[in-house]
Amino acid sequence: MSELESAIGKSPPRLEAGEKAGGKALFTGDMVMPGMLHAALLTSPYAHARILSYDTAAALALPGVKAVVTGEDITGGPFGPVVKDEQALALGKVRYIGEPVAAVAAVDEATARLAARLIEIEYEELPAATTVAAAIADGAPLLHEEFADYVKVYQAPENAGNIMARAEAVIGRGVDGFEEADVVVEGTYEVPAQYHAYMEPVAALAAFAPDGRVTVWSSTQSIFRTQANLHEGLGIPMGKIRCIAPRVGGGFGGKAEASGQLVVVMLSRKAGAPVRLVLSRDEDMTTMRARHPGTLRIKTGAKSDGTLVAREMELWFDAGAFADDSPAVMNLALFYARGPYAIPHVRALGHAVYTNKLRLGAFRGFGNPQASYASESQINEIADKLGIDPIDLRIKNAIQAGEQWLGGQRIATSALVEALEAVRDASDWSRPRQARPGCKRGLGISAVAHTSAFLSTGAIARLQGDGSVILNVAAVDIGQGSDTALSQMCAAVLGLDIEQVTFAPPDTDSAPYDYATAASRVTHTVGRAVHEATAAVRDQLLEHGAAMLECPVEDLELRPGGRIGVNTQPPRNAEVTFAEIALRSIWAVGGPITGSGSFMPNDPMDPNHTQMSGFLSLEAVSVLTFGAQVVDAEVDETTGAIRVIEAWCAHDVGRAINPGAVESQIHGGFVQGMGYALCEEMVWEDGRLVNPSFMDYKFPGSMEAPDKIHTVILETPEPSHPFGVKGVGEPPLVGAAPAINSAVSAATGLHLKQIPLTPERVLRALVSKS
Amino acid sequence: MSNKLDITLQVNGEAQTLRVPPSRTLLDALRGELALAGTKNACNQGVCGACTVLIDGLPMNACLLLAVNVTGRDIISVEGLGEGGELSVMQQAFVDAGAIQCGYCMSGMIVTATALLADNPAPTREEIRAALSGNLCRCSGYVRVVDAVQLAAERLGQ
Amino acid sequence: MEFHQPTSLDAALVLIAADPEAMLLAGGATLVAMMNAELVAPSALVSLRAVPELRTIDVAADGGLRIGAMLSHAALAAEARLDGGNAVVRGAVAQIAHPSVRNIGTLGGAVAHGDPSSDLPAALVAANAVIETAGPAGKREIAAEEFFEDYLTTALQEGEMVSAVLLPAQPEGATGHYEKFARVHGDYATMSVALVLAMTGAECSFVRIALGAAGATPVRVAEAEACLLGSALDADAVAAAGAKLVAASDPVDDVRGSGEYRLMLVPRLLARALTAAQAKSETRS
Repeated sequence: MSELESAIGKSPPRLEAGEKAGGKALFTGDMVMPGMLHAALLTSPYAHARILSYDTAAALALPGVKAVVTGEDITGGPFGPVVKDEQALALGKVRYIGEPVAAVAAVDEATARLAARLIEIEYEELPAATTVAAAIADGAPLLHEEFADYVKVYQAPENAGNIMARAEAVIGRGVDGFEEADVVVEGTYEVPAQYHAYMEPVAALAAFAPDGRVTVWSSTQSIFRTQANLHEGLGIPMGKIRCIAPRVGGGFGGKAEASGQLVVVMLSRKAGAPVRLVLSRDEDMTTMRARHPGTLRIKTGAKSDGTLVAREMELWFDAGAFADDSPAVMNLALFYARGPYAIPHVRALGHAVYTNKLRLGAFRGFGNPQASYASESQINEIADKLGIDPIDLRIKNAIQAGEQWLGGQRIATSALVEALEAVRDASDWSRPRQARPGCKRGLGISAVAHTSAFLSTGAIARLQGDGSVILNVAAVDIGQGSDTALSQMCAAVLGLDIEQVTFAPPDTDSAPYDYATAASRVTHTVGRAVHEATAAVRDQLLEHGAAMLECPVEDLELRPGGRIGVNTQPPRNAEVTFAEIALRSIWAVGGPITGSGSFMPNDPMDPNHTQMSGFLSLEAVSVLTFGAQVVDAEVDETTGAIRVIEAWCAHDVGRAINPGAVESQIHGGFVQGMGYALCEEMVWEDGRLVNPSFMDYKFPGSMEAPDKIHTVILETPEPSHPFGVKGVGEPPLVGAAPAINSAVSAATGLHLKQIPLTPERVLRALVSKS
Repeated sequence: MSNKLDITLQVNGEAQTLRVPPSRTLLDALRGELALAGTKNACNQGVCGACTVLIDGLPMNACLLLAVNVTGRDIISVEGLGEGGELSVMQQAFVDAGAIQCGYCMSGMIVTATALLADNPAPTREEIRAALSGNLCRCSGYVRVVDAVQLAAERLGQ
Repeated sequence: MEFHQPTSLDAALVLIAADPEAMLLAGGATLVAMMNAELVAPSALVSLRAVPELRTIDVAADGGLRIGAMLSHAALAAEARLDGGNAVVRGAVAQIAHPSVRNIGTLGGAVAHGDPSSDLPAALVAANAVIETAGPAGKREIAAEEFFEDYLTTALQEGEMVSAVLLPAQPEGATGHYEKFARVHGDYATMSVALVLAMTGAECSFVRIALGAAGATPVRVAEAEACLLGSALDADAVAAAGAKLVAASDPVDDVRGSGEYRLMLVPRLLARALTAAQAKSETRS
């Protein structure tokens, strides 16, 4: 690594850490504006009902109320990332308990909430289908009668009732491949709805300017998805919509799509004043979105020597009342259904079904946690059955570089075997662990695969008059450290200190399009655009340098701290600074130095390898990366409680731009995955969410999370990336639940098939076994 | 709900006068009337700890306290930990240990940790975790949070 | 909403007698959370924070304790005089929620709320505590076992409040233990076992057991205790006691556990609690 790249591989504190530590960071709910009104929602009490009429008179009459909006105020729509089936507020019908039906803007939040309760809505209750079984039964009530007319970005099944998406992928001989198996294991796995539980509840603030443009600050993972949803949902031209991300307190996928923005714009437009909405925790849990619960039937066939020959997966995802990202999540679950193994014969079939409950959508892993829980658990069962060590079995079948993934994309590099060996060694895998009295203890393993590139992005880098550089990038830092990592990459291209790079707050007015902070894509995908933009700046700097130093560009060298010198023999002392070049460009020659980058991954499928139907286009999903996790867990035989004692997580990040941030992602992702495995479950009864609070929905705290989460950062550079970067946002979560399930198997002999592995489920299984 | 009382609160070393209804929580008063937005509302029911402040040196959930009921007590919020516009040792330790990700839980974490070290200057990692058991974090997995508290303890011990 | 800060117990009683819709504000850990959730809307709040009579701890001549209602859970968790059999109360308060809530919540507030899934009711029944109340007709003393009448329902009458909790002097050599099982640290119990135990040699000479989260009130079964008295706390005796406790329990199904699972836990946690209490008594003797 050259001296120039000293910014890479270092772990400077986050750029914004000081303001966060000082309590000064401004999140959307902290922002106040003159004349700002406060919003409150009225939500549906019914899982499925027609809206017959609205009476807002009493609400409007309450002193302090400035505007009330309902479905009658919608000026656009429908919108949605994959199926355009949503409106800004319920229109014509309500489809889940908690669906926002109306909203109020008032001088304070208490008044707004009181007024919302005064809105009278006449409903005609309809039969509801609150489970997948009910939604696909004969005569099931239809959630979306006009489904066939909705714009969709994939081929949807026709006349399939509430089944919004069905996709199938076949490799080789498909299920006929089981004929080659000596051993076949089949099982059905169940996975829960997991709530993102970002610490900052959703908030949005809208303000119209005198020129008629509206600016929206919101707790979002994507300023451009926000802009698009506002444009489509309210019919406002994009030129009139400016979206900005202030500090965002976590997202994990829950804030990539609409998060309150349409409602505040509607209210602000009507009230003629800025309007801010801040959801309470229970509102956030009942109105937003969560991870898809579902059922996965999976079958694996192997030869007695451990060679995996066939895999079948059929999954049903409960998608809730609106599609949101559901077809894509289901597709990605199928994408990972084979696991990181060279299984020659595969059939993967998936369904996503509308039900009358909260919409389910993107959540860190996006279908992979569900698929991997089933896939990896079954691999362990096969290993058990064959008497082969589960790590050896994985190594034996590991997909190699050059081989094709499900869909046909070729894997450029694979550190899977390295990861498996790393965690095997680091954990001292074959050393038996001593359980406490009354407990059983074991080590478990999981292999992880996930992609790093997804959808498009752009970046602009501009040389400022003092020789520093400012980046206009739309990628939102939701806590994962992208502002810092992207600044480090920019600094590295130019040999600058990170203090000489400014990361401008994400703003649709100044940054090119970026899809979202999601899909483990930012450091990789946005990093490419940042590199391209910065390299363009570098090239212009060198051009100026050559002119100013009167020598060919090839003789120049960038020097640390924003300088250009001459690299010839004998050495010349001549040097110019970036600041000098900036001034020359602005005042004398050439014009302002600006660079831009634009990138869209394109990795086509190979229909000769995999026959696919019903999928969204997956060409923009790419760059697989691999990892492995070992977990040491203990099961209390008295209560069924599981204690995760220690974990080893090896993940290939290609190149660690900020190793500290990579470790932090691994820690946090693992613990979030541990919650998925052990205690997190949203529970609905007849469509009503039973546990919409942190009192009732529990996720790991400091006493549950293990103190020893060992991170092994593997660096097998991605050839297509200027820094070799691969993603790490999601993999650590994906590996946790199967590794824990595997540890419980090792400890108890139980092959459990439902998460969360609550003490109750485990104890019942232990008692049944004995 | 509509009647308001004139009260004085001692916040971060300063006497602050405000007019609030009896039902106003200290959390809402800090963030609203006193424009101290550093203390966060993440659950409003005393479970997550994002609203932790010090009352006479003891960590308490500001969402469970009524402003009118904490008059005469010494209230310290995250903004009041440092001196002269500088970050406190604990705040700086959280920055330097890489403990901060999205930051939304961190005000509460830092306040709780500050009280811990005042009471127990050299806590074990287990003791740190126990003290922070009421401060939920979704980003960090807690490892570096514990590291940060140990780093602060080390620095304060010097 | 009116707000009052009386400076004496009598003044507080006068205020709540005058307005039946008024509510007493102790620490606020439960009340303020309920106000935030709009589950209650009192016409007035009567804050007890300035009533000195409610903040004292006195040791009685026989070694028992009288603990004022406004003592915080944190203060009691640090109270060294809650030892011997009364350590069951100390163990319980130390496991309520988490540290910051323990700094706010009070003994009187928790007792008056009467939530059978919370930690104090079972511990107080096991400790054979007496709840001292103050009201327009004067003071009453009610055994904890009678005080908790139903889910969130206590023996408090109109205009009455909890003024103190009286803990008896426990038998010589007794130990107290509170065994709590919850989904995560700080959650309400899925099941808890509170007990006071004294051994004479290898024989159980005294035991009182109460279960939390096992029904609408703490569950205590004298016949269960009888199974253990005189025994060496052997597996059969413990199983018999457990069975009697199970028969008397009627736990709810909720997200913290099904009723069936809670019943499965009863004998298991009882055994664990007895082992822990016995070990403590061995270290003491």
